[in-house]
Amino acid sequence: MGARGGMLHRLEGPQTLGRGRWFWLGFAIAVALACAYPLFEDDYTVGNTIYFFNWVFMALGLCLIWGYGGMLSFGQTALFGISGYGYGIFVLNFGPDHGFTLIAALVAVAAAALFAAAIGYFLFWGRIGGVFLGIVTLSVTLVLERFMAQTAGPEWHVGTARLNGFNGMSGMAPLTIPWPGDDIVLSPDVPLYYVVLGLLVLAYLGLRILVNSSFGNVLVAIRENPQRATMLGYDIRRYQLAAFAIGGAFAGLSGVLYTSWGQYITPSSMGLTAASLPVVWVAVGGRSDLTTTLVGTLLVIGAFQALTVYGSQYALVAMGVLLVLTVLAAPQGLVMAAARLVTRRRP
Amino acid sequence: MFDTAFGFLYQFGDACAFLVLCAAGLAVIFGMMGVINLAHGEFIMCGAYVTSAAARAGVPLGFAIACGALAAGLAGVVLERLIIHRLYERPLDTIVATWGISLIVSQGTLIVLGPSMGAVGTPFGSVVVGGYSYSVYRFVLMAAAALILLALYVLFTRTRFGELARATIQVPHMAQALGINTGLIYTATFGIGAALAGATGGLYAPTMTLVPTMGSQFIIEAFVTVVVGGGDVFLGTAPAGVFLGFIKATMTTWEGQLAGQIGLLVAVIIVIRVLPRGVSGLLLRERA
Amino acid sequence: MLEDQSGDFALATIGKVHGIQLATDEINAAGGIAGRKLELVIYDTQSDNTRYQEFMRRVLQRDKVDAVFAGFSSASREAYRPIVDQLNGLAFYNNQYEGGVCDAHMIVTGAVPEQQFSTLIPWMMEKFGKHVYTIAADYNFGQISAEWVRNIVKENGGTMAGEEFIPLGVSQFSSTIQNIQKAKPDVLITLLVGAAQASYYEQAAAANLKVPMGSSVNVGQAYEHKRFKPPSLANMYVTTNWIEEVPNEASKAFVKKWHAKFPSEPYINQEAENSYIAVYLYKQMIERANGSTKRDDLRKIIAKGDVCMDAPEGKVCIDPKSQHMSHTIYLAKVNDDHSISFPNEWSDIKPYWLGDAGCDLTKKNPNAQYTPSNPPPK
Repeated sequence: MGARGGMLHRLEGPQTLGRGRWFWLGFAIAVALACAYPLFEDDYTVGNTIYFFNWVFMALGLCLIWGYGGMLSFGQTALFGISGYGYGIFVLNFGPDHGFTLIAALVAVAAAALFAAAIGYFLFWGRIGGVFLGIVTLSVTLVLERFMAQTAGPEWHVGTARLNGFNGMSGMAPLTIPWPGDDIVLSPDVPLYYVVLGLLVLAYLGLRILVNSSFGNVLVAIRENPQRATMLGYDIRRYQLAAFAIGGAFAGLSGVLYTSWGQYITPSSMGLTAASLPVVWVAVGGRSDLTTTLVGTLLVIGAFQALTVYGSQYALVAMGVLLVLTVLAAPQGLVMAAARLVTRRRP
Repeated sequence: MFDTAFGFLYQFGDACAFLVLCAAGLAVIFGMMGVINLAHGEFIMCGAYVTSAAARAGVPLGFAIACGALAAGLAGVVLERLIIHRLYERPLDTIVATWGISLIVSQGTLIVLGPSMGAVGTPFGSVVVGGYSYSVYRFVLMAAAALILLALYVLFTRTRFGELARATIQVPHMAQALGINTGLIYTATFGIGAALAGATGGLYAPTMTLVPTMGSQFIIEAFVTVVVGGGDVFLGTAPAGVFLGFIKATMTTWEGQLAGQIGLLVAVIIVIRVLPRGVSGLLLRERA
Repeated sequence: MLEDQSGDFALATIGKVHGIQLATDEINAAGGIAGRKLELVIYDTQSDNTRYQEFMRRVLQRDKVDAVFAGFSSASREAYRPIVDQLNGLAFYNNQYEGGVCDAHMIVTGAVPEQQFSTLIPWMMEKFGKHVYTIAADYNFGQISAEWVRNIVKENGGTMAGEEFIPLGVSQFSSTIQNIQKAKPDVLITLLVGAAQASYYEQAAAANLKVPMGSSVNVGQAYEHKRFKPPSLANMYVTTNWIEEVPNEASKAFVKKWHAKFPSEPYINQEAENSYIAVYLYKQMIERANGSTKRDDLRKIIAKGDVCMDAPEGKVCIDPKSQHMSHTIYLAKVNDDHSISFPNEWSDIKPYWLGDAGCDLTKKNPNAQYTPSNPPPK
């Protein structure tokens, strides 16, 4: 089977749904369709789809932390905010030339991962778990939000970048790829679409490899029974920390992409509602699997937006009903339930 | 000197009362039953709205608050029967479900009742102590917080219902085997938790703006107090309220409201790190 | 139209949607703008900044509207402004705010601090005393407004008894009330924003705090005097460009036809009137530009400096340097029974600060927001 068989082998495993020729054929078709999408959709839809894609990274990160690691974290939005502000501060200070925006993106994501590691160290070495973890991560997120919201005065600045409090920081240049001739500015348009799509595919495949590896197996073992894992000799704190930091890095990636897309970042991105949204997306999609999370997040964000556009004041009510029905009818997630239905039909 | 001391004690009592009252209903629903109720704020709102409507219709405030609590309790019972009772084994699913309920109720209230509800004035006037003027009603709130805690304790440890409830929640199968109607107990306990939240809403209604989203002003304080309190409602909620209230009052007096809020949240983070099972975990271990 | 019809801000913004609808119906009944009917595309932004970003992109790219009337909170405006700039759109911001937006893509009909404070503060200091205490919401609008108050108090020979900044969403004010009592000010300036912070008035009244209050933002926006029980807002003085109780003939006629169309409207606030005026100003600009809806053509008309109209509040004009609007400022006093009287009135107060500070949109477009401590570069 050679190299290709080896690759497929690493992408598949007991921790993820989907294996075999048909699944990967379907995957290839989906990616091909996604690539062709901008050719027959208008500018708005392309920009809007990029907007949806931006959030998926954070959801995938939470899937790793919560779905595979069993740790409910409300902290993804804190890391989202940190990397968003990090990107903004860096780019406002150094400008978009010479590929600085790309460096800024890396620095921002690294900052988010570091912060996640710091929080993780604090949490896991204190043996905090379960709902307490949720409350502490929520508290961290809210402290950041409250703190940033009052940084409106001129004394709050990092270099030339004013934090600007509740009104938010804007004016940072979007991601720009240095190119001989004219730099390619990735404003919400077709080039950015392909970049984000590429990142999404890479992230998805990379995470699949990660969770199907021994790391993933141990993580799931920890989720199922932490004491047994400890008795088998694993230092569960290290695994939890690693998962938390990696998940946090993905949240950071979402933050950078969002800030670059809208040229804006605000503390309300770290508020109570914003912190609950990733949990809702992942729960509705199906938290224990990457594919269901990815599909589910896109579906839910799209559905919520469509409801808001067409449902006027009933949109929020409809969203609430959707959530309640999901929990009652399909507790493992809507997409997961659909996937199970599909696979059950096969002998 | 006396002014400052009394002033600080007042702030402290006020902060504690707020935390305890926020947490009371949630402590029963979350602390005892393990349901992460993100719709807690909406029960409070329900109580506040019903209380205001009743008071404006001429009902004396005390009865109006009782009406508010009753209405919230009934709403809780209905919700439990329809949705919550299926989710007892799945605490993390309760997050999504109750968040959905919270959206439905707050937006539904906006659609049906409009963006705000007329207010009821604060009763009992004011009193001057040592150069500062204080609202008498705030002292009533402090007394109410203490009374509610006491009532909860009595209800759940000294009455038959309380015994049955604790047995059902701690060892449901044994309780069922002994012939207890566990479904009824769950419903009743949830209803009590909801009614407490409604009472909080009713108590604070005369002092606040009544809008459909007012629940969000209580929910964070409620959750952090319950979590810091730990698993045992009676041992935990009061000390948690006192401790966090002290931190909040001190930080607010020293540096202002923002410091008070951030101080509260940071205190929560530190306490959970030091006491992973909450305050009641600490107390129980010392006892055992 | 991108307005919050649900969520935290809905209380103050539902009227804005109605104002635009009323103006649209009247204009279309009279033949439209340059013979073309005005068509409304409305999205509910749910008091959520990300929705503003999503829908601004949608209305400009997909619905391809000619102008957007959008935003309540400054955060929402700053969220959508980069997108309006990027996609070369035209947006009307019909809300009072902290001032300073120097952006050719924006026309602001809301009142700004120099209009509201340069009238309110000297009047109150003269009447009640020169020791002033400010409580403000702890974010840009509150902090910048507080800065304005500080500067004007100093210019008029007064002293600040203290300043307190309160995070949004806080609803318990016992400590604030105690601090005010300790400072014993002559005048209390309240810059509280949001439903939670409005609870201050009830709690202060319950504690029998009797300092005269001044505000640029309460009463006029969220009609606290109608929602709270008297006398919690008694002795409150508000400078607003218009509220429902304004007694002149044009205003009364306006209120009457509004209630005819929207009988269950709880209150018509200043933002609702701004939105109504904005539609008529837009109509005037297009007609004077020979039917063109292109932003640059409309801006040429504005640059002439005489885009004015007789609004329910009085005569208003758009200032070409900043694209903000001049206003009649009414001083509204809330009486013990929460009825409103008008001890004073200033007409034609111009939005002078941006022009004086160096913003001139007829010459260049910096697409930025400035504050007194961060003025345009000289």
